[in-house]
Amino acid sequence: MIPVTINGTPKHLPKNTSIQEMLTMLAYDNQWSGVAVNTTFIAKKKHHETIIKAGDEIEILSPIAGG
Amino acid sequence: MTTEKWQIANKTLQSRLFIGSALYPSPAIMKEAIKYSGAEVVTVSLRRQGSSKTSGESFWSIIRSLGLEVLPNTAGCHSAKEAVTIAQMSREIFETNWVKLEVIGDQYNLQPDPYETVAAAKILIKEGFEVFPYTTDDLVVAKRLADAGCQILMPWGSPIGSGKGLMNPYNLRTLREQFPTLKLVVDAGIGKPSHAITAMELGYDAVLLNSAVALAQEPVAMARAFALAVEAGRLGYEAGAMQEREFASPSTPTVGVPFWHQGRN
Repeated sequence: MIPVTINGTPKHLPKNTSIQEMLTMLAYDNQWSGVAVNTTFIAKKKHHETIIKAGDEIEILSPIAGG
Repeated sequence: MTTEKWQIANKTLQSRLFIGSALYPSPAIMKEAIKYSGAEVVTVSLRRQGSSKTSGESFWSIIRSLGLEVLPNTAGCHSAKEAVTIAQMSREIFETNWVKLEVIGDQYNLQPDPYETVAAAKILIKEGFEVFPYTTDDLVVAKRLADAGCQILMPWGSPIGSGKGLMNPYNLRTLREQFPTLKLVVDAGIGKPSHAITAMELGYDAVLLNSAVALAQEPVAMARAFALAVEAGRLGYEAGAMQEREFASPSTPTVGVPFWHQGRN
């Protein structure tokens, strides 16, 4: 397992987990979620091939009201 | 008599009122208020939400049902890097290259950070975004944004959510005069319909507001009030107001005044 931070909360993920696998594990696999890793946006088309590393800080964001 | 359609970015719009989607008492009131505002542009955002297959879906489905242009914001970002990341994510999720660029420099008055805003604008314009930069009424910052390629500027009236109206009409007038070809939208601080009228009478192309409607005692009625105010302000601007005078000038003819006597004041 590797330590990561997801939306500000420390978590552990299995080694070699892709972003897509992480989203599925956490039940974020809907089309209205966006992902950034270490403040860099990762496009959906790269979710399957991007592997999460130990220490990564991951943001999973969804639409919300805004002004 | 209504105002004519106008162009901003790649869209032709009838309404000059942009409206936010936050702070309403309920999603149903949000939907009704937005409809009664007549706005064709609505702002949205991205946030961390609970782990759920439907994260964001119910709110987003309401907004989509309205069929409006969506203007995602980068609210909460404190650096150009953060704002660029959120803009890129917004473009993918909301399927628009429009972005309301907000990079905040101070948590007390939510004043935009001028340096990070300009830096982010440069990057985003290179990446093909249509940038709607939230800025102060500072002329030099506006010039830097225009030099970066911004075709739209969104100077504040006053701090976000303050309802204080237009703090510095002189600066806003200066921006209008100095950037005649850019689209100018007063964004932030509007609290009453009269504030919106003033912005439109200054020649601004549109106003963007959220709290003024959402936090009103009757948001749906207030939305309608703002729709009328923006229309009235624009019509007044296009009609060309009379020149202000320092002295009184009677409107009733002075020829044939009864009881007139030579030498009386």
